[in-house]
Amino acid sequence: MVKGRPAVSKVVVVTSGKGGVGKTTTSANVATGIAMSGKKTVAIDFDVGLRNLDLVMGCERRVVYDFVNVIRGEAKLNQALIRDKRIETLHVLPASQTRDKDALDPEGVGRIIGELRDMGFDYIICDSPAGIERGAQMAMFYADEAIVVTNPEVSSVRDSDRVLGLLAAKTSRAQAGAPPIHPHLLLTRYSPAMVKRGEMLSVADVLELLGIPLLGVIPESKAVLQSSNKGTPAILDETTDVAQAYLDVVYRFMGQEREHRFIEEERRGFFGRLFG
Amino acid sequence: MLETAPEARSESRSATSSKRQVAFDLKGTMAPLTVLRLRATDVAIIERQLRVKIAQLPQLFVDAPVLLDLGALGDDAAALPFAELVQALKLCKLVPVAVSNVPDALRAAAVAAGLGVLQPQAAPRVPERAAAEPAAPEAEVAAPDATARPTARPAAHGGPVVVTQPVRSGQIVYAQNNDLVVLASVNAGAQVIADGHVHIYATLRGRAVAGAQGLLGARIFCQKLEAELVAISGAYIMPDEIPAERRGKPAQIYLENGECRIAGL
Repeated sequence: MVKGRPAVSKVVVVTSGKGGVGKTTTSANVATGIAMSGKKTVAIDFDVGLRNLDLVMGCERRVVYDFVNVIRGEAKLNQALIRDKRIETLHVLPASQTRDKDALDPEGVGRIIGELRDMGFDYIICDSPAGIERGAQMAMFYADEAIVVTNPEVSSVRDSDRVLGLLAAKTSRAQAGAPPIHPHLLLTRYSPAMVKRGEMLSVADVLELLGIPLLGVIPESKAVLQSSNKGTPAILDETTDVAQAYLDVVYRFMGQEREHRFIEEERRGFFGRLFG
Repeated sequence: MLETAPEARSESRSATSSKRQVAFDLKGTMAPLTVLRLRATDVAIIERQLRVKIAQLPQLFVDAPVLLDLGALGDDAAALPFAELVQALKLCKLVPVAVSNVPDALRAAAVAAGLGVLQPQAAPRVPERAAAEPAAPEAEVAAPDATARPTARPAAHGGPVVVTQPVRSGQIVYAQNNDLVVLASVNAGAQVIADGHVHIYATLRGRAVAGAQGLLGARIFCQKLEAELVAISGAYIMPDEIPAERRGKPAQIYLENGECRIAGL
């Protein structure tokens, strides 16, 4: 798939406020999925000091230089970029394990994103750390679009709401008076059975609370944990429902219409329907 | 304003000791000052609207010292061309003297334009009882801020402040000397405050304060009452005190004999 220099690269922040809701999993899967479609893609780990994205994407043994090294001029960008072994168009810019988030500053981050644009990346996926402090604000600062990862429970929804406020106020688009960032809601760890029993917020509940368009629903699944541990993003094993859900998300994100799935409980068999 | 007082006093002392004759007294004082609370950064628009206002009450504005308040601009303040604005104000026969609520990054630009810089003021005034547990201490202090992008009109005209976007957790919207109209939900952890009435044409899940400066007749109206707190002139109601039959329904809150009452709509 030979293609010329893209008109514009898209900077996408994957964010949530709350920790443990699936930001890194989503970053890895969305970056992988977009790259699978032939788009030149890089995933940047903004969680400086914790460094997880390289593990989830299975390239932790190839990390020599990191994001902070590049910001500080200790290494060149292409020395720190790791090219994925499975998908040629996929790259990872790992976080530093030894520094903290104060090492990130708007000028430095802006410079790196500018360089990635110049290198012809179509998609720059920024994996935000949890919280709303410096690391998270740096991850969202240059974003054009945002994927807000939310679990169907009240505290996660509240934190996402807070992050949506920050996206509208504390980003370079907001400061320049440019058109606002498009937020997309990604509901992860969703269990239709629990929703039915009233033990979990439903898609409709979350949409009513947050009021942003739904990008997709990722069902709760053991496949996520297994794939994280293996360092193989779940989207690569198309037999799982998680992979199917993330593929839908990637297609929708890139502008294709796809019907939402995994919102209702799995259809029961003929007899189940007959006697249900 | 008062924060400059100690410094001013010590300067005046050194002035007296170095010269026997006292050439002046320095005083930290509160002088009446017209505040121009900016809600737009387009100098042409500001000037045009200002001229209309001046035409109505010319004697009030001639040679009047003016304080520029950037508090309502939020992050949009960065787009303000100070020199151009100062020039425009002078053309209107106003004397811009200083600027308040100026972001650190813009201090130098303000000083370069010949403006003094007043210490930033605290967050919008919230009645003490209502402010007992601020939902988010570092909240984007947002009079209609960049976040909500409300179509806010200048307060002096008396038209309400209108917010069209959801007010999200951690955000504060304050309509000073004015009513506040919110066309989207006020989410949990958000605060809407008005010196007049508060109208919410959606769900109120956060905190709403009407009559923040003591207007006893102020009311709160909302389409769906799920508030964390509602307060009028300092009297307030917590969620547990909202009767079950009023919860989740259209409601108005008003003051009667010094206590908040909830009624249907």
